[in-house]
Amino acid sequence: MAKYLINRALQMFLVFFIFLTSSYLLFNAMPGNAFQSLLLNPNLPPDAYEKTLALYGLDKPLFERLQLYIINFFKGDFGYSYIYFPKSPVELIAERLPRTLMLFSIVNIFAFYTGFLVGKILAWRRGSKSETWITITSVFSYTVFYPWFALLMLYFFGLKLGWLPIGKFLYPEKWYDAPFDSDVIFVNMIWFTVIITLVQFIAYVLTRNIESISIRRNLRFTSFVLILIGSYFYWGTGEALVRRPYAADIAYHMILPVFTVTLLAFAGTALLTRTTMMEVLKEDYILTARAKGLSQKRIRDRHAARTALLPVVTSFIFTIVTIIDGSVLTEQIFSWPGMGQLILQAVLREDIPVAMATFSFLGIFALVAHFLADISYAYLDPRIRIKSQG
Amino acid sequence: MDENILEVKNLNMHYETISGDVAAVKDITFHVKKGESFGLVGESGCGKTSVAMSLVQLQADNAKISSGSITLDGQELIGLSENELRSVRWDGISIVFQGAMNAWNPVIKIGEQIREAIREHYPNNTKLQNIEKIKELFEMVGLSETIIDRFPHELSGGMKQRAVIALALSCNPKLVIADEPTTALDVVIQDQILNEIKKVQDLLGLSLIYISHDIAVIAEMTERMAVMYAGRIVESGPTKDIFANPRHSYTRALLESTPSVVGDKVKLNSLDGEPPSLIDEEFGCSFSPRCSNPTENCKSGKSEMGLIEVAEDHFADKCCVECG
Ligand SMILES: Nc1ncnc2c1ncn2[C@@H]1O[C@H](COP(=O)(O)OP(=O)(O)O)[C@@H](O)[C@H]1O
Ligand SMILES: [Mg+2]
Repeated sequence: MAKYLINRALQMFLVFFIFLTSSYLLFNAMPGNAFQSLLLNPNLPPDAYEKTLALYGLDKPLFERLQLYIINFFKGDFGYSYIYFPKSPVELIAERLPRTLMLFSIVNIFAFYTGFLVGKILAWRRGSKSETWITITSVFSYTVFYPWFALLMLYFFGLKLGWLPIGKFLYPEKWYDAPFDSDVIFVNMIWFTVIITLVQFIAYVLTRNIESISIRRNLRFTSFVLILIGSYFYWGTGEALVRRPYAADIAYHMILPVFTVTLLAFAGTALLTRTTMMEVLKEDYILTARAKGLSQKRIRDRHAARTALLPVVTSFIFTIVTIIDGSVLTEQIFSWPGMGQLILQAVLREDIPVAMATFSFLGIFALVAHFLADISYAYLDPRIRIKSQG
Repeated sequence: MDENILEVKNLNMHYETISGDVAAVKDITFHVKKGESFGLVGESGCGKTSVAMSLVQLQADNAKISSGSITLDGQELIGLSENELRSVRWDGISIVFQGAMNAWNPVIKIGEQIREAIREHYPNNTKLQNIEKIKELFEMVGLSETIIDRFPHELSGGMKQRAVIALALSCNPKLVIADEPTTALDVVIQDQILNEIKKVQDLLGLSLIYISHDIAVIAEMTERMAVMYAGRIVESGPTKDIFANPRHSYTRALLESTPSVVGDKVKLNSLDGEPPSLIDEEFGCSFSPRCSNPTENCKSGKSEMGLIEVAEDHFADKCCVECG
């Protein structure tokens, strides 16, 4: 196992290094630079443009800059943003990332959960009328042109019905005398979500070995109720009580993007689950499970869905990788000031330090996610678990 | 001891397909006594698995049971709801499927897969009791306790099959059906598994239906038997009597195409031709095209098929009995 990990780490490092170098070269291959607009200013002293370039080291040859960049990168120095000058790319990412993570982790959890559930039921009820209709809907949502659909949703729920806000992630008028920054709330909300997920997960693991199915189910349900009560008390006391209206404002702004993207994203998982599950249902062990007199639900969930989960999880982790780059489009449509907008702006305005930092972040994120995919696959499939040990 | 654990009466089952109905089970009647081992033999495709599946009511989606009755220990199984059947399955009848090698879910440990069956039918057992039970079963079929924590792919074919037998016994079923349990195994292992089943059957006084295409195995394993041809039982009775005095020409053909059970070296007569398609309308004796000495009567299709008693508890199709 240790050998496998070291191997993987080396591999990942090499891939990342190539990624870093080629991104840098690509960004520098773009015509012009971030300060070109200075030249349009007629009041500018004649040498100001050259001076600015020299200040940022842009007058040096490309290869020398690349060398310097890579050395500094591994020292943890990512330079300064050209546009938001005194801020470093890390500061910018730290501000934007929580907003993106909050939105898209919720979308992905919803999308995966509903997708898996729907796919499972579709396969189980094969041939029924509801199967036909849900399948048609899923295929539609899987293939529809995304920006068109998102705009349609905005138009309908935001403008026509006026139920939900159009764009932005908060109402500025509510926040101007707020005692803290919106990022504080975001981070708070993320921690809250992570902790309740963790608690439910622990409850799940702890009850795993209980023999009686009904006791197990009741305990799990109890833990769920306890979490609800706990959350109620958490948001009803002390510091969190002050933050509550602000958190609620953000949550309110999240509804439409979450709903829209979930609607579009669940279909892929649902269709994949349906296909794999239908294959699994033909297996002999499903017949054995039925012959044993197990309940329909147990056969469906424990025997069929559990095995069908393997390819679905892998493909899901691949989609997680696309969260941030996928966010470019979504954030643009819903005016959500997260990582996606940061990347777009950095690339369009050739803010190379920020573009590089965000891309490196994406690269690391993708590598780590793939690595986690491998590990979780091995965990889910005992046949692989054995091989990677030997 | 003479009580019947299973009675099947005039069972008819067909599969609905695009090209027509496949009549896989035609007017089948037999019974299994308590503690007895009953054999079902016939060429592949003659409907043995279809009979087995009907007994546990797990026939394919396109299968229709048009008439007949199946009673297990006095309880009628046909017409039971899915929920009522759940309590009959495994607890009443357990089954070792043909190709039982794939009977294990690859991502669940062997022990857990047996335990979930016990848990279903003995919900008040503790985990410890269930594990004790599995250990007992494993010892009986010659498996080590450590298999409980193994995944299916870590076991050899023979071990998997032994574990399947343990699984089939886990809920103390009234009747066990073994549908060609050794077909997928290599010859040496086949012998071991057969011995294991025989041992367990004697030990527990199990009521067993043993299905095979190999009449030699049936001779070794069973006390009473039935010979199936094209969806029908053409001969049934005590295994000894049938071997001593086979009355149907298909039974004789099967016996002649098998290396002698007694051990003499004889020249094998292989059985020529193919069984008839089960989609076509039956026309007289379905075996007559392959029969070694059919009479005009057989070929004309005038005689209807049906069993008559030729000796005590020994039945054979009347067409052949009449030809002699
Ligand atoms: N689901 C099905 N649909 C249509 N025909 C089937 C189906 N299952 C089995 N059959 C047909 O029924 C006949 C009996 O099959 P089976 O019971 O498996 O025989 P055996 O077990 O003796 O080999 C065969 O002709 C087979 O092709
Ligand atoms: Mg068969």
